[in-house]
Amino acid sequence: MSDGHASLRDAARTFFASHAAEFGAEARRGLTPDEDLALGRRWQATKYDAGFAGIAWPKDHGGQGRSLIERLIADEEEARFGFPNEYFGISLGMPIPIVLRHGPEGWKLDRAIAALRGEEIWCQLFSEPAAGSDLAGLRLKATRDGDDWILDGQKLWTSFGQYSDYGIIVTRSDPDVPKHKGLTYFWVDMKAPGVGVRPIKLAGGDSRVTETFFDAVRVPDSQRLGAIGGGFGVAMETLVIERYHAADPNGFGPKLELFVDLAKAIEVEGRPALSDGRVRQQIARAYAMRNGLAAIYARTVESLRQGLHPGPEGAVHKLVAVRSRQKLSEFAMDIQGMAGLANRDDHFQREDWGQSWINAPTGRIAGGADEMLLNTIAEKVLGLPQDHRPDKNVAFRDIP
Amino acid sequence: MSILYSEDQQAIAVETRRVVEATIDKAVLLGLLERRGAYDARFWAMAREQGWTALAIPGDHGGLGLGLVEMGIVAEACGAVATGVPFLTTGFGAARALATQPTLASEWLPKLAAGEAVGTIALAEAGATLPASPTVRYADGTLRGIKPGVVAGGAADIVIVLAEGPVLVAATLDDSVTRTLPNTFDNSRLIADLTFADTPATMIAEGEDALRIARDLLAAMAVVAAHEQVGGAGTLLAAARDYALERKAFGQVIGAFQSIKHRIAELFVAIEVARANALHAAAEDGKPEFLKAAAAARLSATEAYDLAARDAIQIHGGIGVTWEAALHLHQRRARTLAVEAGTPIFWEDLLVEELAA
Repeated sequence: MSDGHASLRDAARTFFASHAAEFGAEARRGLTPDEDLALGRRWQATKYDAGFAGIAWPKDHGGQGRSLIERLIADEEEARFGFPNEYFGISLGMPIPIVLRHGPEGWKLDRAIAALRGEEIWCQLFSEPAAGSDLAGLRLKATRDGDDWILDGQKLWTSFGQYSDYGIIVTRSDPDVPKHKGLTYFWVDMKAPGVGVRPIKLAGGDSRVTETFFDAVRVPDSQRLGAIGGGFGVAMETLVIERYHAADPNGFGPKLELFVDLAKAIEVEGRPALSDGRVRQQIARAYAMRNGLAAIYARTVESLRQGLHPGPEGAVHKLVAVRSRQKLSEFAMDIQGMAGLANRDDHFQREDWGQSWINAPTGRIAGGADEMLLNTIAEKVLGLPQDHRPDKNVAFRDIP
Repeated sequence: MSILYSEDQQAIAVETRRVVEATIDKAVLLGLLERRGAYDARFWAMAREQGWTALAIPGDHGGLGLGLVEMGIVAEACGAVATGVPFLTTGFGAARALATQPTLASEWLPKLAAGEAVGTIALAEAGATLPASPTVRYADGTLRGIKPGVVAGGAADIVIVLAEGPVLVAATLDDSVTRTLPNTFDNSRLIADLTFADTPATMIAEGEDALRIARDLLAAMAVVAAHEQVGGAGTLLAAARDYALERKAFGQVIGAFQSIKHRIAELFVAIEVARANALHAAAEDGKPEFLKAAAAARLSATEAYDLAARDAIQIHGGIGVTWEAALHLHQRRARTLAVEAGTPIFWEDLLVEELAA
C-alpha cells in the first residue's frame, strides 16, 4: 500500500470513529424510520463537509477527485460503524452519475451536490412485476405526445421510493420491435402529478422498497437520457458505473468473530459449544470461505492499483458470501436453542444472527439473483451457451 | 494481503506448464496405479533437471532460495496433471525441517537440492496428524517403532520423524528400516509403513520447539498441497467445460442446460476461492497469520478438488467412469491429497484453536 493510501485510511478511520457515537449503530437504535432518515441526512452532510462524500467523483461534479481505490478504502472504514448511509447508496451510485453524463449542464451539478449533501434522494425505477432479472421484459408504457411523453404503468422494488425526489426510469416506448430495442430512458420528478408510491413491507418487517405507479405522468422529451429506443444501452451503462464495491466477505451479515464469541459463551446439549465438532467445522469452513473472498478482493484492489481490469470476481463474491451468511445465521440460531428465536428487531443484520437470517433471502435475490450470477459466470467467463431464449428476435408484443 | 504474480513468477508458471505437459504420459500414470513401489521416473528426472528440487532451498546450500509462492506455482502445474511422483512436496517439507539444524542442513540440503536424495516427513500416527504422545521412541541417537502411512516412504532417503517426548528427529532410511507398501488407490504416492529398528537419527528440536517446527512444516506442505489441489481441480473444470460444449443431447450441447452450466459455474467459484486462499497463504509465509492462512487454503482446496472430481465425472456421464478416460486419476488424487499433510478435520481444529485464542 502506498503512503498516500495509508494516510487516507488513517484519516478516514479517525473521522468515522469520532462520529460513531453521534451517528453509528447505537445512535440509531430505536429511532422511527423518519428519525433515522433525518439522522442519515445529517450524516451525509457531515461527510460532505469533511470531504468524505463523492470521493472518486471529479471535482467539477462536486466530488473529491480521488481514485477508485481511495473510495474503496474510505468505504471499508465507514462500514465498521453502522452509519445511516443506506438511503444514499443507490442515489449516488447510479442515478446521479448517469445524469451527470447525460443530463443538462448546470442543473445536473445542482442535483449532484444536493444528493451528495443528502438533501435530495434519487431512486432507480427499473424492476417491474413482470421484469426483474429479465430487465428488458419491462412493460411500463411511454407514449409520445408532442414534445412530451406520457408514462403509464408500474415499477416494483424501488428502493426508498417514498423518500425520493427524482428517479431514473426505463420504459417501453415501442412494443413492435424486439424487446431490447424498444426501450427509452428518462429521468422523472417523483413529485409530478400521477406518480404514486406505496411502500411494501418485506418479510423482515421493514418497508424500504416501494411499488411505484405512473398514471398518465407527463414527462418532457428534454428529460430523455440517450436515444429513443436506446434505453437498454443506457440501463446497462447505469449498472456498470459502480462496478467495484468495497467487498464484504460477511455477506452484509455479522462477522465470523461474533459467531466465535457466541460459541465461546454458550453450551450446546450440556457441552461447551466450542468443543462440539459440528460447531468447529462450521467456524473453520466459514473462515476458509471468507478468507478466500477477502484474498480475491485484495487481488482485485491490487489489480486496479496496477491499472489492470480485474476479472469477474465480483459475481463470485456476492454469490458465495450471502449464501454462506444465510447458513451460518441458521446455525447460530440452532446452537442457541429457543433463545435463537428471539426477534431483536431493534438490532441490525450485521450484529444479530436472527436479523441476518430473516433478511438473507433478500440478499440472494436483490442486485442479481444467485441463478443470474451463475449464468453470468457460465456464459461470460466459461463460454457456455446462453439458455434457450424464445423471446429473441421477435417483436415484444409477440413474445409468448 | 494477497498478491498478484510478478512478471517473473508468471514466466515460471507458463514455462512450468509447458514442460509438465510435454513430459506427462497418461498411459504411464494409469500403469502406475496398478504397481506398488513404482513412480514416474521420467517426470522426476525432468523435475530435477528443471531445478524444481532446488527451488525453495537456500542459496548457500545449493538451492535457488525462492519461496513458497514459486513452490506453489510449480505445484499447481504438477497438480494439474496429477504427476506420478510425490517427492517435490515431501522433499520440500523435509528440507524446511532440516534447514533449522545447521549440521543436518549442510549434509542434506545440497543433496535434496540436486534431487540426489529423496526426503519426506513422518509425523502422523493412527488417529492423529500431530500426535500428542507419539509411540515411536528416540534414544541414544537411534529410533525404534512404526510410523504408518508415510508418503514417499517407499523411496525416501531421509525422513523427519516426530517421536516420543515430543522430539523431532531426522532419520536416515538405511537397512535397519523395513518399508511395507500397502496397496492404495494412488500407488505412485509410495505410501509406506516404516518400521525403525535402532535406526540412526539426529535431533532437530524437542518439546514445544519440536511441535512448533512440526506445525510450521505441515502448514508449508499444506500450502504446497493446496496449490496441487487447485491445479487438479482446474484441469477437471476445463475438462467438464470442454465436454459440455461438445457433447450433444436432446438436440443441443449439454452445456446449454442450466443443471450442467450452473454445476460448472459452481465449480469455478469453489476453485476461485481456493486459488485465492492458496496464493494468499503462500504470500503469508513467515508472517503471524501463516497458520490460519494455510489452514484456510488447505480446507478450501480440499473442498474444491473433491467437488471437481465428483462433478466433472458426473458431467461426463458414462464415459467419465471408464479407466481409459482417466478422470479417476484426479478422483484418486483428490482423496490422497485430502488426507496427506493433515486431514481436513486436523486443519479445522487447528483453525478454530487459532481463532478462539
